[in-house]
Amino acid sequence: MVITNKEKAARSWTTRLEAKKERIESVKSLVDGVIIPTDRIVDALELLIKPGDRVVLEGNNQKQASFLSQALVQVNPKKVHDLHMIMSSISRPEHLDIFEEGIARKIDFSYAGPQSLRIAHMIEDGRIELGDLHTYIELYGRLFIDLIPSVALVAADKADRNGNLYTGPNTEETPTLVEAAAFRDGIVIAQVNEIVDELPRVDIPSSWVDFIVVADKPYELEPLFTRDPRHITDIQILQAMMVIRGIYEKHGVKSLNHGIGFNTAAIELLLPTYAESLGLKGKICTNWVLNPHPTLIPAIESGWVESVHCFGGELGMEQYVAARRDIFFTGKDGSLRSNRTLAQLAGQYAVDLFIGSTLQMDALGNSSTVTKGRVAGYGGAPNMGHDPGGRRHSTEAWYNLMTSDDPLARGKKLVVQVAETFQEANKPVFVESLDAISVKDQAKLAIAPVMIYGEDVTHVVTEEGIAYLYKSDSISERREMIASIAGVTPIGMEHNPKTAERLRQQGLVALPEDLGIRRSDAKRSLLAAKNIDELVQWSGGLYTPPAKFRSW
Amino acid sequence: MKSAFLFPGQGSQYEGMLNDLPNDSVVKEVLEESSEILKRPIDTLHSKKSLSTTKAVQQCLLIASVSTYKIFEKNGVMPSYVAGHSVGAFGAAVASGVITFEEALKLVTLRGELMEKTCDSGYGMAVVLGLDEYQLSEIVSSFFNKEYPVYVSNRNSPTQITLSGSLKGLEKAIDYVKSHGATSAHLLNVSTPSHCPLFKNVSEELLSELDKLNLKRPKIPISSNVNSRLLRQADSVKEDLAKSICYPVRWHDAVNLLYEAGARLFIEMPPGDVLSKLANQAFPDVRTIAISKSSIEDCFYLHSGEDSHLYR
Repeated sequence: MVITNKEKAARSWTTRLEAKKERIESVKSLVDGVIIPTDRIVDALELLIKPGDRVVLEGNNQKQASFLSQALVQVNPKKVHDLHMIMSSISRPEHLDIFEEGIARKIDFSYAGPQSLRIAHMIEDGRIELGDLHTYIELYGRLFIDLIPSVALVAADKADRNGNLYTGPNTEETPTLVEAAAFRDGIVIAQVNEIVDELPRVDIPSSWVDFIVVADKPYELEPLFTRDPRHITDIQILQAMMVIRGIYEKHGVKSLNHGIGFNTAAIELLLPTYAESLGLKGKICTNWVLNPHPTLIPAIESGWVESVHCFGGELGMEQYVAARRDIFFTGKDGSLRSNRTLAQLAGQYAVDLFIGSTLQMDALGNSSTVTKGRVAGYGGAPNMGHDPGGRRHSTEAWYNLMTSDDPLARGKKLVVQVAETFQEANKPVFVESLDAISVKDQAKLAIAPVMIYGEDVTHVVTEEGIAYLYKSDSISERREMIASIAGVTPIGMEHNPKTAERLRQQGLVALPEDLGIRRSDAKRSLLAAKNIDELVQWSGGLYTPPAKFRSW
Repeated sequence: MKSAFLFPGQGSQYEGMLNDLPNDSVVKEVLEESSEILKRPIDTLHSKKSLSTTKAVQQCLLIASVSTYKIFEKNGVMPSYVAGHSVGAFGAAVASGVITFEEALKLVTLRGELMEKTCDSGYGMAVVLGLDEYQLSEIVSSFFNKEYPVYVSNRNSPTQITLSGSLKGLEKAIDYVKSHGATSAHLLNVSTPSHCPLFKNVSEELLSELDKLNLKRPKIPISSNVNSRLLRQADSVKEDLAKSICYPVRWHDAVNLLYEAGARLFIEMPPGDVLSKLANQAFPDVRTIAISKSSIEDCFYLHSGEDSHLYR
């Protein structure tokens, strides 16, 4: 069929742009240039957001566009309704209140830890339509494919009068969210803590931003990555010693990501002491993708760390980071530049190792942190906690995990899961069936919310020992390996001592003594800092912990 | 900061408790009103002997919590949410304006009477510490016996859970869990197997009584006992008040829901401080205050920190 010129001419190719212009025109009388007056934000949102819009609302595990979310919940549901919300993290009460008020209808998200009971109820009661649960990278990716936002509501520290934004240490995913809306004729509204004449630096240029509004109080920011060394136990120290010897040293792990658990905080605090005594400085743990963990300060100060790229900032670490410019990514102004999207990608493709803690693991090494009756989602762990099949570049550690001499053989990302065999309340970590399966049924999810799949896990570490899962392709052998370090849990009880001995001989399992570690040496005295105050001392007073972490 | 007022249930009562209420004219009015409705002097209600009956315990708990709540009401202090544990839910419903105090007092009187006459002396409750509800449910259902039934009842915290049923069955369960992971397990000093299917008839009679009343829409959302939802409709409050006695109280979830809804200040009505302690254990960053351990002025002061401004 031939399309006539007449038909061609009839179609407009700029409908999105025209619709955007109309919306912007509709608030002309409310705004002063790009500035929405603080007390008119609800009126402005009622004009700028249309029923059925896809709205990305910035809420991630640290920074929250809290002024805009509190304003959104106040719009009139008769004017604004059936919104399709896209959020990396459902963290604040009003994130779900907008559904109860009839303003929003559908949700696509990544993480909902702080609202995990409420969202589970709302899904069960049919009061929220669930799009899907994502990892961060998947959700950011879909912002450019089939979840393109009509409106982006984001948070920045400062703006100038033209709408240039400074997001500083807490840049996180703001540029990604803004880009998805700005370059598809969506509307971008940024709340800022203040408007200044000159910005320290421009993180997001004004041509990507339609409106700014000064928030009544600074955006909410959580110090999520601060772990007080006082709470690190001797068992966690033992596990940290095993990881350093039996994994980092053994495979030559130079680039890595750590989770937020006390297990990994213990590793960070053993680098300048235990690992130093093994002569490992410069050989392991040099390049990191990691938030500015206060517990990394002693390792940085001792010269262990070459570089750190961050997902986000951490409250209290601003001055320290600015004063350690050789280590962190910083702007011309000296402050940290974080970027969650790029850090997640780096953590997925560019590092040797991901290590994290888990609450539950089945006999095949599938693990999950979900609790029955709660829908918590994923966040970023599965992005980093898997072996990306697309990887082509080789590093010592990656190559070291090659187990075949096939001419096409390739290496493997190290994915390490650390767990104590029992959680509190006598709950075994190693179980026959994950709670994730019952959550799947209760919340009617398409798939069970497994955090890290067993097929990706290369090492499991418990207080009993290390299972080198990557060394075996046999399902039954992997099961035996896990069972032999699963203590007296139901899974652990199925192993027999003879098999365990054989696995040890074959190097498939290592106990502390096989790694030259005496259990009795695992003491808190090994920690480079035993409390927050000592971290402050290591930093020369540059680290200023939030009040709730101060004990003095 | 949002606030939630908590109304305690059975277990918090003690002899002479109504003498310890805050000194305020509305408290005196409620006590007088109670005395008239019940046609007996208040002093006879909270005596040691009287409190050995379920009925008097429930009456006293309602009177203590609601009379204190009225002080807040008089001073224009309104919480963001309310919740009551078991019989405490009737006090929460009064606070929320769903039923009147008089209606509530008659309902809990009936509830107490029905509970007393439904089961003979061979029944009670136990509390188990250190096991979660799934572990406990598995154990209890594995040796369930029709003749000596035992049910998992209240989820007070993730690892503080009660069992309800026949004493013989409870004793068996206590012995078993003590050697299978529980850190503690013992019988409670109650003679009624509350919050389990043995009380289905109590629930039905309560419902038919509630059906006769003209229930109002909640002024304050109520976190519910049976399914830990925020109740905003009169009918759902009615259902929860009636059903709760034959279903487990999901107290931990009810408080968790309030926490997720933004409540960071929990004020516990008298008597006792059981619910504040549970809230603090579950959510260390919340502020809790039990009126019986503190002064009502402190509560006013803390509550005034609540912000509720609009942007329009």
